[in-house]
Amino acid sequence: MTPNSPSAPSRRRFLASSVVVAAAVGGGMPLLAACGGGSGGSKNEGTTTGKKLKDLLPAYVPSKAVTPDIPGKNGSAVGFTTALPASELAVSVPKKLGKGSELTIMAPLWGTSPGEGNPYWTAMDEAVGVKVKWQNQDGNVYGQKLGAVLASSSIPDAVVVPGWELGGKIPSAIANKFADLGPYLSGDKVKAYPNLAAIPTGAWQRGVFAEKLRGLPMPAEATPNITPFYRADIFEEKGYEVPTTTQEFYDLCKEINAPKSKVWACSDMTWSAFVFFGVLPEKPYYWKLVDDKLVNRYETDEYLEALEWSRSLYSAGFVHPDAKAETGDMRTTFSSGNALMYNADISDWYAATAIQRLDKPDFRMGAMDFFAHDGGDPVIYEAAPSNIWCFVNKDADKKTVEDILALANYTAAPYGTKEQRLKAYGLEGTHHTLKDGVLTKTEKGNNQVFATYEYVATSAPFRAYPDHPDVVKGVIEWQQRQGAHLRKPLFHGMQIQEPTRFTELNAQFEDLEKDIVRGRKKVSDMQQQVSDWKTKGGDKLRDWYKKLLDETGESAS
Amino acid sequence: MSLSTEDRRAREPRTPPVETRAAGGAPVATKVPLRHRLRRDRTLLLMTLPAMLLLLVFAYVPLAGNVVAFQDYDPYIADNAFQAIAQSPWVGFEWFQQMVNDRLFWSALRNTLAIFLLQLTLFFPVPILLALFINSFVRPRVRAVAQAVLYLPHFFSWVLVVTVFQQMFGGAGLIAQTLREHGHEGFDLMTDPGLFKFLITFEMIWKDAGWGVIVFLAALAAVSPDLYEASAMDGANRWRRMWHITLPALRPVVALLLVLQVGNALTVGFEQILLQRTAVGPGASEVLDTYVWNVGITNGGFSYAAAVGIVKGVFGLLLVLGANKVAHLMGEQGVYKK
Repeated sequence: MTPNSPSAPSRRRFLASSVVVAAAVGGGMPLLAACGGGSGGSKNEGTTTGKKLKDLLPAYVPSKAVTPDIPGKNGSAVGFTTALPASELAVSVPKKLGKGSELTIMAPLWGTSPGEGNPYWTAMDEAVGVKVKWQNQDGNVYGQKLGAVLASSSIPDAVVVPGWELGGKIPSAIANKFADLGPYLSGDKVKAYPNLAAIPTGAWQRGVFAEKLRGLPMPAEATPNITPFYRADIFEEKGYEVPTTTQEFYDLCKEINAPKSKVWACSDMTWSAFVFFGVLPEKPYYWKLVDDKLVNRYETDEYLEALEWSRSLYSAGFVHPDAKAETGDMRTTFSSGNALMYNADISDWYAATAIQRLDKPDFRMGAMDFFAHDGGDPVIYEAAPSNIWCFVNKDADKKTVEDILALANYTAAPYGTKEQRLKAYGLEGTHHTLKDGVLTKTEKGNNQVFATYEYVATSAPFRAYPDHPDVVKGVIEWQQRQGAHLRKPLFHGMQIQEPTRFTELNAQFEDLEKDIVRGRKKVSDMQQQVSDWKTKGGDKLRDWYKKLLDETGESAS
Repeated sequence: MSLSTEDRRAREPRTPPVETRAAGGAPVATKVPLRHRLRRDRTLLLMTLPAMLLLLVFAYVPLAGNVVAFQDYDPYIADNAFQAIAQSPWVGFEWFQQMVNDRLFWSALRNTLAIFLLQLTLFFPVPILLALFINSFVRPRVRAVAQAVLYLPHFFSWVLVVTVFQQMFGGAGLIAQTLREHGHEGFDLMTDPGLFKFLITFEMIWKDAGWGVIVFLAALAAVSPDLYEASAMDGANRWRRMWHITLPALRPVVALLLVLQVGNALTVGFEQILLQRTAVGPGASEVLDTYVWNVGITNGGFSYAAAVGIVKGVFGLLLVLGANKVAHLMGEQGVYKK
């Protein structure tokens, strides 16, 4: 491990050193190539825009079922802090739409499958009017299963595909193996499924693959899902101040870090660092226009600075060893006070709190506001309006498709409806209890009511944790504060398929990022990798995107 | 298992084998027609049938899938694998050329061979030594317990083994924490790329050395106690008995296992390494099997992964043949005889 400066490098100093290194490896950042490439001819490549897109998208009819306790602002979700008794819940699916099809659905699951015949699944089947045979796969290795299943000749009736699994040839599989839902949903046709009609248009746009509406979306908030958490209770007790610059963060780590008493300052913070330094998002939103030229996230100084800063946390010994080895569950490490800061999906706020408060009623965690590394306003790129979709097998007959849509219409019911209560909390008495407005999941509820139905389709984003209203408030307010700094990336909201010849182009970056922050490789290795990336196709990819940008024009920015 | 000519004649009196006479009419080595051999050995053949079927379905038929290594294979362009293979364009040896220029492939190969050599020198002798130890020094009553304790880790999954090692030797593990409590520097064995190859060999010894003892103990049990008694009467001490009786008894088994081990030189573990990949990075941990997995399954580069797989398979075959030859030269049976 190379010795590192005790403090996070300042932007200027870092730039100076990186220029030297860039010159040394002979790569540097040459001016961009201009012409050539092109978006290619295959209909599986590129994106769909303009009138063609408009004709595909379903009409939008917002739901009027329930008024939220905390309204949405700046791209945040809406919040619900209370739970209505079952008798007062609205009804969004008055008539059972399912016609009794037996459906096989493959979906990720982070947990243990409750197994067939459990009362929760049975109740859902009865309420929707279908019979679902779930093929749940471990969410952590879902992509590997997905690739194999889609390459086989027995594809389930419906398959959930998260956006982060769109690597390799998966987009080609989506175009070739899944049904066009346009004939069922485009325009006013969606009104047969009122809860689907209430899904925001942006979320549907991301479900358009290879010029057809194929994906049933799970809409997402515009604010980032990755959230830097801290132990608010311990911070208060010890008098730690929430940092507002990367230097303060580093100094705070130094203050907190006490391996002797099994306390480390943080977990891996690379994802947060990307926001602290204003790094562009992931593919396909990883471009920005500088003087009319496209620059990729990998080519930016911000990207290297974020890695260098994350690396400084590791080399100073602030990162919990289990995070370095990537073993164990960081939420547990954080909850037990062995690491006082970590970043994770914002849903961890509730997940950790609900478990911890069972025996530690004073447990409190908070989310720190994103800051620019030097203390200014952060640059936060807006998240895609949906990033998980459910697709229907192209060989499914009409009845099967309609029954999947019936199921989706049920699972997309908004908060405060009878349907959502059953989907998210199971049966009253068996899976949850409701006393004095406090909704609590029973042990059976925790073991059986898993979020697999969420992935078939969901309503516009909301956060409802009536058992811990302070968490709802915390989440929504955090999102609204971050939302004030949102910036749309180039191509925002589009579903873009890169040509297959580029599929392996980005494969090495994630491993290298991990190597660099953990001190096994140098930042200059990344610069070498970027210059390899350019010659191996990155420059062609840039041309391809430039052409796309010229074609899509205004709607892209 | 061959029968003498008399036996054969006695069994098959009416059908003298045609091949028994060469052109000149002189009797040469006899060959029984297939039909007869089938009838003669039908019980044995029936017994091997299930294993043959398994081998056929899960090993030989999939071999045909190797054609994708010569294609730009996209499994998603058609409804099933056969159509997809039919429709994918042919690219000749392009993937193999790419492999030659792929530094990640060479790095994976280097790691694989380094781990193999470590396993051969550090892991392979351990079960033999343990078997000798148990056989010679452990009292029968303690023996069952000792064996059970040694076998047990074999039944743990790699996830569990890695977790146990992380809890013991990780940066927040028991040993590092104890050191810190006594005012020393902690350490982290689990994330040190330089130690990784030793670490996984150590994990392997802990998990599987006890299990490997079984076959050697079986070989030792086959040695007649008379030999020991006789040599003891002749005045051989314990060491001489081990040198002249026990070790020669183990020799064929050791040779056989060594040949098999060399044949598997490029298969040095998969799950164990995949689980610890991030902890030390691909530079130290990527082996051919994890490389194939990452390129093929994770990134969808089926054709390239298949090409790497073929190279690995061919190399493994050559190693088995070579090692077997060496075993023959040393006077051992090896895996098979010509």
